[in-house]
Amino acid sequence: MLSRVADTIYWLGRYMERTNGMLQVILTQYISSQDEASDFMWKPLLKIYGELSDDEIEEVSTSADALEYMILNRGNSASAYNNIMFSRENARGIQDHISKEVWQCLNDYYHFIRDENLSKNIAASDPVSTIDLLIKNGLLFNGTVDNTMTRGEGFTYINLGKYLERAIHSADITRIKMLELYNKQHDSYEAPNLRYLLYSLFGFEVYLKTYKGKFTAKNVLDLILYNTDFPHSILYSMERLYKYFCRLREESLPENYERLEFLIGKTMNNIKYSVVNEADTKSLDAFLFQTRLDLFEISAAFSKHYFGKT
Amino acid sequence: MNQNSLLQTYQEQPDVWDEMFNAGDIRPPYKNFVSAIANLPAEEMTHKDEMAKKLFMSQGITFTVYSSGEGIEKIFPFDIIPRIITADEWFLIEAGLTQRLKALNIFLKDIYHKQYVLNDGIIPARLIYSCPNFLREMMNVDVPFDIYTHVSGVDLIKDGNGKFFVLEDNLRTPSGVSYMLENRSITYRIFPDLLPKNNVRSVKEYPDLLYKNLLALGNRQISNPTVILLSPGMYNSAYFEHTTLARLMGIELVEGRDLIVDNNHVYMKTTKGLKQVDVIYRRVDDEFIDPLVFRPDSILGVPGIYWAYRKGNVAIVNAMGNGVADDKAIYTYVPDMIRYYLNEEPILQNVPTYQLADGDSKKYVFENMDKMVIKRTNESGGYGMLMGNSATEEEMATFRDAIDAEPRNFIAQPIISLSSTPCYINGTLQPRRVDLRPFALYGPDGINIVPGGLTRVALKEGSMIVNSSQGGGSKDTWILMK
Repeated sequence: MLSRVADTIYWLGRYMERTNGMLQVILTQYISSQDEASDFMWKPLLKIYGELSDDEIEEVSTSADALEYMILNRGNSASAYNNIMFSRENARGIQDHISKEVWQCLNDYYHFIRDENLSKNIAASDPVSTIDLLIKNGLLFNGTVDNTMTRGEGFTYINLGKYLERAIHSADITRIKMLELYNKQHDSYEAPNLRYLLYSLFGFEVYLKTYKGKFTAKNVLDLILYNTDFPHSILYSMERLYKYFCRLREESLPENYERLEFLIGKTMNNIKYSVVNEADTKSLDAFLFQTRLDLFEISAAFSKHYFGKT
Repeated sequence: MNQNSLLQTYQEQPDVWDEMFNAGDIRPPYKNFVSAIANLPAEEMTHKDEMAKKLFMSQGITFTVYSSGEGIEKIFPFDIIPRIITADEWFLIEAGLTQRLKALNIFLKDIYHKQYVLNDGIIPARLIYSCPNFLREMMNVDVPFDIYTHVSGVDLIKDGNGKFFVLEDNLRTPSGVSYMLENRSITYRIFPDLLPKNNVRSVKEYPDLLYKNLLALGNRQISNPTVILLSPGMYNSAYFEHTTLARLMGIELVEGRDLIVDNNHVYMKTTKGLKQVDVIYRRVDDEFIDPLVFRPDSILGVPGIYWAYRKGNVAIVNAMGNGVADDKAIYTYVPDMIRYYLNEEPILQNVPTYQLADGDSKKYVFENMDKMVIKRTNESGGYGMLMGNSATEEEMATFRDAIDAEPRNFIAQPIISLSSTPCYINGTLQPRRVDLRPFALYGPDGINIVPGGLTRVALKEGSMIVNSSQGGGSKDTWILMK
């Protein structure tokens, strides 16, 4: 497969996964902001999903503005709108390597997110159902990929992008939220707010089934880091990444394959055999940060060894 | 006579050959088609029209217009009424184009080698050397099988008497063939059963024929040469065509940045390292194809590809330098080329053309400017033209000054009244002017002209400019079996 095509498909997978991840985080934040009396809580998210300076962030004063900026703003290159636009541009460039259904699904998502009514719904009426619809479009995309694409290199690269992005996303959100939730005065985590972290990562239901409503930081971390039945856990994402990567063996130069296999294997095992202590926030932070760096190294290695970028 | 209001309200234009009607009667090849639509309720026709538009949009058969950083999807307008060509007409077109392309290929070989045609005074040498598309870099380059125009599209028109003329040769990177294929696939959907009932010849072998010809050009002793399609990328207006052809032939669609030249061989960059390329069907123009030889600012091409080509390590389709043969000033001499190289009389006539570098012709053209269309020799797409019958005095004066300054850059032709055909517009049938671009494939086994083509329509009322950039659309083109 052409390096450029592989690169484009891989990023198509990453953009789509990123969009769904961020929409779920935004949705959860919105719901939690309606649930309780609290200060304006959008600042951390505006920082991750936008390009505003600290002063500009101070000027965003309503939920509607924050939602508009992160989801629909065309000037914000990290907005969901732009992610979908980039995905579609990517797909257009490699139409002959994805199925017609995948292209049409993405094309529909693009036309949906451009719909003028969407911004009205987000600003004035019901952001929850609107964001839900966006997320559904993303899920439809995943299903269409799974059901219509041939199991060739294209399918492999789209999944490599998806699971790498998912691992990065789960590590980032956990790191940010766990620090936010740690209450220094009581030297513990605020249990109710742990729910929101689980919601953000699509993990609430799995958690309830696994731990029966006992919300402890240790269990939450166990689920997000190690539970391989939970499709958004970091370890699950890494195992999938490794599984898809192994399919590339025949299509790779041996030295490139070995390099990537080493990096993915190392990161996966670092997570698998780690011991984290939720009470030691400093080392938890350091561990999650190191995981992030390892994942970025994998991404850079793909760029260098498979996509021909130096 | 038909009682259907759709047909009755149709207004034939005086002195214009209408493809479907003749003084109120329906011409024989259209009778079958007309009887199939004659009894359709008006809503049904409108429904078909809308369905065609939806099919184009949902299948992504679109081109993107970029404005203010955003892409807007547009479809190339399609008219649902097909244009029909009889077997006899097609026989003439096929024979005429085959003859013409043979002569043009010999001309290209000659002009880039011994130049007998200049030495014998058939074509003035100054016309060749003043042509910006004559590439000195192609002198003495031997191209595989002496074929230069592997893919060509020749524009034909019909005059007021229904006679075909050649308006223009497109021998560089002619586009539109994907619309020939897609228009047909839309027609199946909106007029079920009509194609087989009318004995319409199929166009679907085009990609197979093209692939077979491309494969034959591979120069390495291997069973499966690597054939690719080189596109300028997704911002090119014909990008849809590039993806379609690549998909239908099952070949890789690449951009200049995917290719690299090493030791005069061309490779593509794959996830498994470099892979040698044998044949390139390129849709990048000559001037952009190699920044080391042609335009140095081009990022669409591949540095060094020219030398790989020259050494015969890669085949490039179409050959470089074909622009000298489809230059509008050289066009005038194609009938002479046919006589000179083939010792035959041209089967298809040219539209009479005046070289404005010639003093007497220029005088005549200036005196009859209102009956002339004046074209720049190095422009296409319907740009740089003056239609004498609709031009203002001021526009004419501007053209006169420009012609006086650079007469080589202009030709003039009497305005030919292009034939018209009914188009379904706003719920009625209205006459619109058309031309026809059949596509010819020239391979080692000879010339094949796929029975079909792109009928382009000037959708603006009264307009004779069919180019898509100027508000033109297209129709499915049916070639009937004998």
